[in-house]
Amino acid sequence: MARDGNNVPEKAEKKKFSRRDFVVGSGTAIAGGALAVIATTTPVAVADDKGTYPLSTKYLVYDSKHCAGCYGCMIACSMAHDGEVSFSLSRIQMHRAVLNEYPFDIIMHVCKQCPEPLCVKYCPVGACHISAENGNIRMINAEKCIGCQTCIKMCPQTPHRTIWNPKAKKSTKCDLCTNTPFFNRKGGVDGAQACVEACPKKVLKVVDKLPLETGGYEVDLAPPAPKGGFPFGGGGAKPKPKEGA
Amino acid sequence: MATPGFGGKILLVDLTSKEITRLDTDQYAMYGGGHGTSTALFWEYSVAPGKWNLDDAFHPLNMVFLMTGAVSGTGIPFAARTSVSGMSPQCYPIQWWCHSNFGGTFAAMLKLAGWDGVAVIGKADSPVYINIVDDKVTIENAKDLWGMTTWKCQEEIWKRTGVRYGTDWQQLDGGYTLQRPSIVTIGAAGENMTRVASLIHGGGSGAGQGGFGGVFGSKNLKAVAVVGSGSLKIADPKALVDAKEKYFKGLPGGGGFGGGGNDISSCCAGCGMGSRMCHNRNRSYSADSDDCAESTWFSITKEQSNGVQLPRDINQKGTDIIQQFGINGMETCFQGPMSFPTSHNKDFPIQPNIPAYSALGWYMKTMYDMKIIGPGTKFDTAPLPFDKFPSQEFMEVYGRAIANREGFGRLLGEGTARLAEALGRTDDFNTLCRLTMWGFMDHWSMPNVEWAYANLLDSRDINSHDISWGRGDAEQAVKNYAAATLGNEPLWFDYTWQGDQAYKTGIYSKYKAEWVAWHIHYWNYYKESVGFCDWGYCNIGPNGRTPTAEPTFLNAITGRNHSFKDGLEIGRRAWNLKRAIFVMQGRHKNMENFTGYHYKPGASYCGFYNNLPILNGDKWEIQNCKELYFTREGIDQFKTHFYNVEGWNPNSGYPTRKTLAELGLPKVADYLQSKNKLG
Repeated sequence: MARDGNNVPEKAEKKKFSRRDFVVGSGTAIAGGALAVIATTTPVAVADDKGTYPLSTKYLVYDSKHCAGCYGCMIACSMAHDGEVSFSLSRIQMHRAVLNEYPFDIIMHVCKQCPEPLCVKYCPVGACHISAENGNIRMINAEKCIGCQTCIKMCPQTPHRTIWNPKAKKSTKCDLCTNTPFFNRKGGVDGAQACVEACPKKVLKVVDKLPLETGGYEVDLAPPAPKGGFPFGGGGAKPKPKEGA
Repeated sequence: MATPGFGGKILLVDLTSKEITRLDTDQYAMYGGGHGTSTALFWEYSVAPGKWNLDDAFHPLNMVFLMTGAVSGTGIPFAARTSVSGMSPQCYPIQWWCHSNFGGTFAAMLKLAGWDGVAVIGKADSPVYINIVDDKVTIENAKDLWGMTTWKCQEEIWKRTGVRYGTDWQQLDGGYTLQRPSIVTIGAAGENMTRVASLIHGGGSGAGQGGFGGVFGSKNLKAVAVVGSGSLKIADPKALVDAKEKYFKGLPGGGGFGGGGNDISSCCAGCGMGSRMCHNRNRSYSADSDDCAESTWFSITKEQSNGVQLPRDINQKGTDIIQQFGINGMETCFQGPMSFPTSHNKDFPIQPNIPAYSALGWYMKTMYDMKIIGPGTKFDTAPLPFDKFPSQEFMEVYGRAIANREGFGRLLGEGTARLAEALGRTDDFNTLCRLTMWGFMDHWSMPNVEWAYANLLDSRDINSHDISWGRGDAEQAVKNYAAATLGNEPLWFDYTWQGDQAYKTGIYSKYKAEWVAWHIHYWNYYKESVGFCDWGYCNIGPNGRTPTAEPTFLNAITGRNHSFKDGLEIGRRAWNLKRAIFVMQGRHKNMENFTGYHYKPGASYCGFYNNLPILNGDKWEIQNCKELYFTREGIDQFKTHFYNVEGWNPNSGYPTRKTLAELGLPKVADYLQSKNKLG
């Protein structure tokens, strides 16, 4: 087992398992293909006897092209989980590059509930785990977390989606609002998510298909554009995303 | 331990001595935050020491404040404002203590860095910017930033850190963040100390009115940048979320100003559930720039451009010019977004249409057409290419001339009122300029007289869009207002403006004075100090948010358990302290008079909301009051009533010791008495 932390590869596996690998390897073969190679070289925590992990049953997807950049999702996330307003503690990250041209003016990052969750795989104490009772979401048990930041180091995403809480000296991550002491709704896979509820533009959604099979986590969720507009009444310029966007 | 909802400390920077001081926010809690706290700090650090005459906004002892309120950055709609305060170079003829504000992310980021505000006094030897990274504050060299546009300046400051914002976590003193610093800065208009210079944050969040960009320039202060990785405590997070759901469920964001259709909108931090989105992401020429009235800076109708129909996108290009130079778009525009037919009154001096904003551009062009300036006159209008009006080329030269004070821009940079003075035509305030009494162009303030009265009693166009009456059941509407204000006095809302009734229950009555006082106390606290946005508050109606939403949100955030009336009282305290500053600057009853057009037919022709309740016998009616104008006798009576309502001396308008003591300001009374200015 890798839980003692001694067998954690510093950078190699993280590099091997990049975002591009996800995209290239998308589809049902992903779990048994490239990832299986990893599984054969390094023991895993909760993989089955084929070295694969149970997929999460829910995923958060987003539409950054229609996001209003209000930070409502981030504030709702930190409020629901921590009872505080904080951009830094938010499990969903939206960044406004206000002077960039559309659509590069807003960048969003969500935890992908990875098919092969390296945060789980390399957590030395089992704090990072796959919660069978919560739809196989990848979660962190705060009581078990020893603050070693291995999950942060091993997250294959850039920026890493596991979040460091410097005051608590523990890691945390998106649990689709399963553990939200300050959220007045039932959260989790069968409930609501604070970020989704807070979004005024409806550009966040929880889906039950692995987004890698359906085109990715960035989706088009835009409702019809509002008509009118004071004082001219409509007719603004059409979105002109740059080539390759 | 800071009160929930607050960072807990205020940053005081003396640019002359380079001294950096941390003040305890809670010590100023009685002033409510934002503009109220700024007013208290200005009194303490600039007025009470008595070291100068309070007569020049560009004096090093003037201060400029960037202050947040309890709701800023807490994720609730209509609550992202950063209050800006200081003595205003734009105010005319006296550079009054004044205020402005801007949206965006600055307030939220400042609080997440642990600060509730920034106060700046003094003047740096050479250009600097203030850099705030969590608890760490430094005064940085900005020589290489001086001369840059507002956008370029922000990009350069972002580059200095070498961080790939949005894609790399960066470690700060207190934690980690993906966010870039929020920056408020000035362009050439501020550097050259024009009186029409804005503070610009991001692409298009700006504080224009007041001319505080010029105050930054006078202090050699190019920018204030802040990034924070901390947290903001909330007293009752669940209650806050509940309140948000209660008051804003089903109020989805709408289209942006000047846009709609295919525009994709963005908004301030925490907002997004309002009735509108204030910025646009996907306009052709920039992101985040086209915002509110600035998007109409160069909108000119065919009637006023010799039949030339300008391409629509010229507005967007024009918006980018003023945002980058940091020019106040409203003060310098040509007519605003619309004009108003005046055919029903042929005597009104502006024909055939009244522009919504008879601002600097309008006035300059009118002076040119009247041959007061330009060829053959003593006022050379170079470099302005009037033969190419209203082209894009003209627009660009106009913007550049103001910002750099090039040629005729030397006078344009002084603003409309001082331009008129230089031309020897201050009588134009009563006709062509439509300037309110303190040098600000009018802004639909009539016939909603509470807006106009507050313009007179405060120091600027108060920009208050909150009172509208529609065409519904007048009696019910009046009842709603009476109940929502907690004043329970329907006669507050009788807008009768003619005959004896105007004096008994109408616009000159004590009832109106009480309503105007309520309105002033409200916006002094809830909007200018707490941080609620004018587009969302106050909100009165059958399902209106006022008066329950304000204390519900505030108490959930702070845990202070304040009532709505507690807030009004804090607003009254800050307003009285402000009055003391005005008095120290020379304010007296004798000078609180509207400019001449307010007393003439046509005064209300630019009114945005003309329908007002009138008590006709014993029956309430909604009447179109577009013909409403004031009488001098009526205003005199109104002032007497208003001063009495406020507890001020009715002959001078000075605050009395009794009133100041009642508000916990006995030392202010002592000071005024020592200067023979106590009422």
